[in-house]
Amino acid sequence: MAPDRKPAFIREDAAYHSFCGLACVGWLYQKIKDSFFLILGTHTCAHFLQNTMGVMVFARPRFGIALIEETDLSRPQPELHALIEEIKADHHPSVIFLLSSCTPDVMKVEFQGLADSLSTPSLPVLFVPASGLEYTFSQSEDSVLQALLPFCPVAAPDDRRVVFLGSVNDAIADDFLAEAEQLGIPVAGFLPSTHFTELPAIGAGTIIAPLQPYLAKVAQLITNERGATLLSSLFPFGPDGTRAFWEDLAAQFGIMVDLSEREARSWAAIASHTERLRGKKIFFTADNLLELPLARFVQSAGAEVQECSSPYINRRFHARELAALDGVRVVEQPNYNRQLRDMHADPPDLVISTMGTTNPLLGAGIVAKWSTEFAFMPIHGWAGVPSLVGMFTRSIDRHAQLGKLDDPVWTAGLMPSIPLEQA
Amino acid sequence: MRLAYWMYQGTAHHGVGRIANSMRGVHAVFHAPQGDDYVTPIFTMLERTPAQPQMTTSVVSGKDLSRGTIQLPHTLREVEQRSQPDLIIVTASCSTILLQDHLEQVVEQAHLATEVLIYDANPYRMQEVLASEGLFTLLVERSATAQARTATPSVNIIGPSSLGFHNRVDLIALKHMLKTLGVQINVIAPWGATLADLRRLPAAWVNLAPYRELGLQATRYLEREFGMPALYDAPIGVQPTLAWLDHLLELLNTVGGEQGAPALRRPPLTAFSLDGESTPSSVPWFARTADMESFSRKTAFVFGDATHTVGVTKFVRDELGMQIVGVGTYLEHEADWVREQLAGYLPDELLVTEQFQEVATRIEQLRPDLVCGTQMERHSGRKFDIPAMVIAPPTHIENHLLGYYPMLGFAGADYLADQVYTTTKLGLEQHLIDMFGDAGLDYEDHHTAPTAPPEPAAPASEPAPQLNGDAPAVPAPPAPAPNGAPGWTADGEAMLRKVPFFVRGRVRQNTERYAIQQGYHEITAAVLREAKEMIGG
Repeated sequence: MAPDRKPAFIREDAAYHSFCGLACVGWLYQKIKDSFFLILGTHTCAHFLQNTMGVMVFARPRFGIALIEETDLSRPQPELHALIEEIKADHHPSVIFLLSSCTPDVMKVEFQGLADSLSTPSLPVLFVPASGLEYTFSQSEDSVLQALLPFCPVAAPDDRRVVFLGSVNDAIADDFLAEAEQLGIPVAGFLPSTHFTELPAIGAGTIIAPLQPYLAKVAQLITNERGATLLSSLFPFGPDGTRAFWEDLAAQFGIMVDLSEREARSWAAIASHTERLRGKKIFFTADNLLELPLARFVQSAGAEVQECSSPYINRRFHARELAALDGVRVVEQPNYNRQLRDMHADPPDLVISTMGTTNPLLGAGIVAKWSTEFAFMPIHGWAGVPSLVGMFTRSIDRHAQLGKLDDPVWTAGLMPSIPLEQA
Repeated sequence: MRLAYWMYQGTAHHGVGRIANSMRGVHAVFHAPQGDDYVTPIFTMLERTPAQPQMTTSVVSGKDLSRGTIQLPHTLREVEQRSQPDLIIVTASCSTILLQDHLEQVVEQAHLATEVLIYDANPYRMQEVLASEGLFTLLVERSATAQARTATPSVNIIGPSSLGFHNRVDLIALKHMLKTLGVQINVIAPWGATLADLRRLPAAWVNLAPYRELGLQATRYLEREFGMPALYDAPIGVQPTLAWLDHLLELLNTVGGEQGAPALRRPPLTAFSLDGESTPSSVPWFARTADMESFSRKTAFVFGDATHTVGVTKFVRDELGMQIVGVGTYLEHEADWVREQLAGYLPDELLVTEQFQEVATRIEQLRPDLVCGTQMERHSGRKFDIPAMVIAPPTHIENHLLGYYPMLGFAGADYLADQVYTTTKLGLEQHLIDMFGDAGLDYEDHHTAPTAPPEPAAPASEPAPQLNGDAPAVPAPPAPAPNGAPGWTADGEAMLRKVPFFVRGRVRQNTERYAIQQGYHEITAAVLREAKEMIGG
């Protein structure tokens, strides 16, 4: 359970680079296969999604933007019925998520009422707060899951089973099912499920086991509304996190297991990687909200975490991870320019950074890697350990193999805003 | 209100970012939610920038809105201290513009030593192209200062910019031609220019403004205010490049005449090649080779911005001998200019739309041999199994290749011709296949009406379209076509299957159209044969 002492972390001014909460659409529309994600937004939202999510490849993805144009600005409440009909005809979804964005937030669109007015028993339209004024990157998956909760059947109080919380791909889900079965842990399902029509039952006997670290609010909501028990453990990343996760989860069912040997085997399997990570200085700049468990893992693997920054930290939901990072400088909503100064003062061996900052860091001679990759790789559980550790070592190894770029001539003329002689 | 999936242009604040990332000492500050910072990674990812682009988002959060706080003065001071720019451009985004903050007052409160320009880019009235063009024009108007002309012939190149379509290598092509002519470059802007460079724009003899989308208004301003002659053409293709060189020399010699300078002459054309002794472009000969005979029957559909749509349409018709079956642009404000430039080239109405679905529908109807478009038309082409090449922005990571692939000048003509040649289906081989069957290539059967390819995670509720090539042993009974076209009988269908697969879709469509015209209710082998005779299949 949550330790009593408050782990220390610093909060800065949020002058960091990351993505808007609408980013979650990129994976959730693929995860929930009978869904449609309708964003009430502007040209900006469409431009963001097409540039960051690489959606050009799919000309008819199951998401779209109800485009607010100038004439729509003066209307108190947008009229979306026609668009809903269009979506129904083209995509036949079981559920439509109506996502907010910055502009309608500023316009004070009353989203809940709007969603209710569009909703029918056969096709629910669910309001999902996701605006870039409030939400960062993966964080708005939390809002999607909160919207789904009322559609999860209520489980009987004596139905003691686990519901895994957070979207993972089917292969990872299968791994978790198999592992649970082996340990004798009964599983009710996953939230989100692959289809809207297959949501798991949740009740007072349910144990909620979070797989993703960005779901603090929905976890709290489930415990409040359904009386379910929230597993407080490490998140299942790395041998250390995975062991703690399964031991603590099993304990919820009165099953006492000692997975120390399993953990040791897992570490042994990646020994060649952890040897290379030992003593390496690693810096997390804040992006996808996976930072706390990733930093905890890489520290357990022998690296030195110089700084672990994350867009949002929740003292209760992240209690175990924060405790495991005791002594590490942990920052919520960091200031990127302060981080840059720190990196120049004490250069890290690897920076886990955002899409917007990684190439410039590499250009400054600092080895850096897109944090987004961690959000789209199978790095959960025992099976994810080799991928997870490889994400860190590959960058370090690759740059060691290629050698340092020590002559500015190799980037001369590539970027117009840099004087040629300084390039 | 409409449902949008994809946009040809970026937002206004992205247009502002393009100017800031093009120039030196100019920093853009976006008064915007954190989510609007997504424009920065577009530069760092697509152009793989080795340094941080000169743009900063001054974050507006929900908390700021409820508390009435504003980060902007703090951000401005921080930017001034960190980057020491010559100019800071402040702009709001689609949501913050609705707040109607008095940005002038806010900027005053920051007490900066640096000059600040508040650029009113209303994202509901302008998109990327108008915003970048408007800002750049404003900067030129504020900066350009009357001064003496350079002693020797010189030009400004106005328009190349960050995230412009192949602009970095276009510049190399232009510089090479100017060097060959012995003409100095006074200023290139906005690419790599400082405000001080903009001040010295009027020192050049002539302005070159090859792009309709950026630099046109600034060049017109310089012509109006400083009497600077300007060359507004884009040298796309060999003949336009020759005309461009001649026109440039004419303008320079007019200025030179006033200054008593000796007239410039065009050196031998071989001087424009890389080695100085070969042909500057292989296109004129290539187009006349036997190899290219088949291109005279090939049809092209062209869609894009204004500059490249016009240039490429003329090029594939005039220099490669192809047939134009359709042209369009997503730049509504340039539609009249495109029509005027392409008078005599347009087979029908110019398609003017910002909705890619309309363009896709037109491509599906026309079934050209080649689509020249944006990344989205490349995608649509793939969907309909029609060869497509990318000739216009918005750029995609695949337009940021490492090699020298300009669109302008002689080298640009060679690149475009290579692209057309490698993209379209082959010539002689196709005759063989047309004559004798499928050359073993008929592994995919496209006889079903074109449908979307299955998405990687196709939902169980939407069965993937049947794309396998096994023909049913028993031909299906005639099925009415979805659009009310006549159905196909078994013998009609069997005969259609003998048509090579890559033209089968078009033959099917043409025959159906013919059958409707003739009032046939079903398409038999005889109707298909008749159609082939009457309309050539």
